[in-house]
Amino acid sequence: MDFDPSPTQRALLDALGTLLSRSAGTDRSRELAERGAYDHVLEAVLRRDGFLDLFASEDAGPLEATLAVELIAAELGAVTPVPHLLVLPALGLEQPAGPVVASLDGPAGPVRYGAEATQLLLADGDRCVVAELDPAAAEPVPSAYGYPLARVVPAWHRELAAGTAGTLVNWWRVGASAEAVGMMRRALDLTVAYTKDRTVFRRSLGSFQALQHRLAELSVLVEGARWLVYEAAFNGAPAEASAVAAAHTMTALGRLTRETHQIMGAIGLTTEHDLHLWTLRLQAQRAELGGGQGPRRAAADARWAAAS
Amino acid sequence: MDFGFTREEESFRDEVLGFLDGYRDLDGYFHRGADTADGVRRVYRALGDRGWLSLSWPVEFGGGGRSPAYEFILWDEMAYARVARPPMGPGLVAKALMSHGTGEQRDRFLADLRRGRTGFCLGYSEPDAGSDLAAVRTKARRDGDEYVVDGAKCWTSNAHWSDHIWLLCRTGAPDSRSRGLSVLIVPLSTPGVTVSPIPTLDGGRLNEVRFDGARVPAANRVGPENEGWQVVGSALAVERHVQFPPKRLRRDLHDLLDDLEAAGVHRDPVVRRRLQDLAVRVAEVEALALALLGEVISGEPAAVPAAYHKLAGTVLAQDIARTGMELGTARALVKGTDTEFLWRQSILETIGGGTSEVLRGLIARQEFGLRA
Repeated sequence: MDFDPSPTQRALLDALGTLLSRSAGTDRSRELAERGAYDHVLEAVLRRDGFLDLFASEDAGPLEATLAVELIAAELGAVTPVPHLLVLPALGLEQPAGPVVASLDGPAGPVRYGAEATQLLLADGDRCVVAELDPAAAEPVPSAYGYPLARVVPAWHRELAAGTAGTLVNWWRVGASAEAVGMMRRALDLTVAYTKDRTVFRRSLGSFQALQHRLAELSVLVEGARWLVYEAAFNGAPAEASAVAAAHTMTALGRLTRETHQIMGAIGLTTEHDLHLWTLRLQAQRAELGGGQGPRRAAADARWAAAS
Repeated sequence: MDFGFTREEESFRDEVLGFLDGYRDLDGYFHRGADTADGVRRVYRALGDRGWLSLSWPVEFGGGGRSPAYEFILWDEMAYARVARPPMGPGLVAKALMSHGTGEQRDRFLADLRRGRTGFCLGYSEPDAGSDLAAVRTKARRDGDEYVVDGAKCWTSNAHWSDHIWLLCRTGAPDSRSRGLSVLIVPLSTPGVTVSPIPTLDGGRLNEVRFDGARVPAANRVGPENEGWQVVGSALAVERHVQFPPKRLRRDLHDLLDDLEAAGVHRDPVVRRRLQDLAVRVAEVEALALALLGEVISGEPAAVPAAYHKLAGTVLAQDIARTGMELGTARALVKGTDTEFLWRQSILETIGGGTSEVLRGLIARQEFGLRA
């Protein structure tokens, strides 16, 4: 057992961090969100530098791909890292250019970057369906939760082999949770930094023990989520572990959002401040996974179905 | 002990409900979407014409001389209908003028306040003085018959459509904390006063109000110089029973039920369990609101019951909204639904008008006598 990042993982994350510091971040995220746009430039750079091939590469694998998803989300990269880095390679599918979207509970709901998406992955019973999309037919819907959304219209589709739906759903849960872990950590770091800078009642805000305890509790939550996600990825996204990681992460993000906003006070309620760039997207993560109940039920089903 | 409203009070509630029928489409409680300020102004004027902005003012000041229970009923029903919140002017400002203002100030302001013809916003918070109001830095320097005001207020609700700002400012030495503050009434049209928007997560706005050498008549100071802390403190006490109307929560819960029913998940046992918990807590907050009202009616300071009520009520507003979002799928993210809007709006509730942390500290000190 070794919980330290390997030299390969370190090098990989350093390189990705450097790339994202140029091609992602808060300013670029705001500018793209204003236009409701997907970041084709970032996707091209990630593709060029091999980050979309990590999952199946010889010197990396699913865990490294998951670490990359976490960092891309933390840096607010306006791409779809979960399908590109995890789900498509896990299903053995080619990687189309542009956003790829998924629906875990039928085709009706709006999806992230749907207005530009060309491919939809759909879990249908135990089968997985790949549908081509016509972006011109997509219907954008307004949302305040960070990601541009649209309802998509499948053009034609093909079915993958029986049993593939599980691969889609499990890797999607791991990937969405990895994104959430990256974003939760950033929101927490921002809040901790604020409590060190802010003076109130002639003291640093962070010197109040009641707040110190709350911040510490949040760090426990985020760390728990992080290791559950890594473990699920390391083991190849088994159904129960993926559902448990998602169940914990999707619950944790609710509390983390409440507490970071509360501790940040009025400044965190403004759109000028950056906190909401992560916290609003976190709510979208949970909704995309079918709400907080979905992963919890899946975890229970996986555990008790296996036991019976 | 008597938990009920009187027959007269209940019949006043019927009158209020009848009045509200003409305004139910106005979303002035949240000011969602398009600018609803004109509509809210019309409501305030209509209320003023009926004498409902001065229900519990003493008769000598042109008020109705009635129990604070009437104000509670009015603003509770207004909250359920989402029509408007209680205005600061006829509430906090007028009542502070009655206890601390000069005869000339009462003559100048009370009639218009009573009739809903003039709007006030509260200029308390600053970039470096939020929960810690004694750290206020906006400076008012005496110059003959005037004060010259320099500084900035922020997070100021409604400043963009108010006529005056009720300004807490420093007239004493920079480190005089609560002993060097005064209250000035400043017309927002005063040269040197600038109001600019601070966009918030709910799609609405708070404001920054800047003062650059704004000259304000000394006759606009309320209470003695450097005794503004007492003015502000007592002004806070008189409005606690209408600050957070519990029927807002009853309405939030009803809307959530409608939403979940439309989504077809309301019979799910897990969903029902969540709803039962929320319903119990709505009842809890209603009970705390009545306990607070009872204290206000009997003339008690009521700071602790007010803290109980706001703490329980504001976090419940968030929990109702969060339940909607947590149970929702991607459809819940579409802008404009009650669920997603209330999620963004309710984040503000535990921060504005006294943060939960300040209220918890107050309970610990005043109720238990604990000290840091």
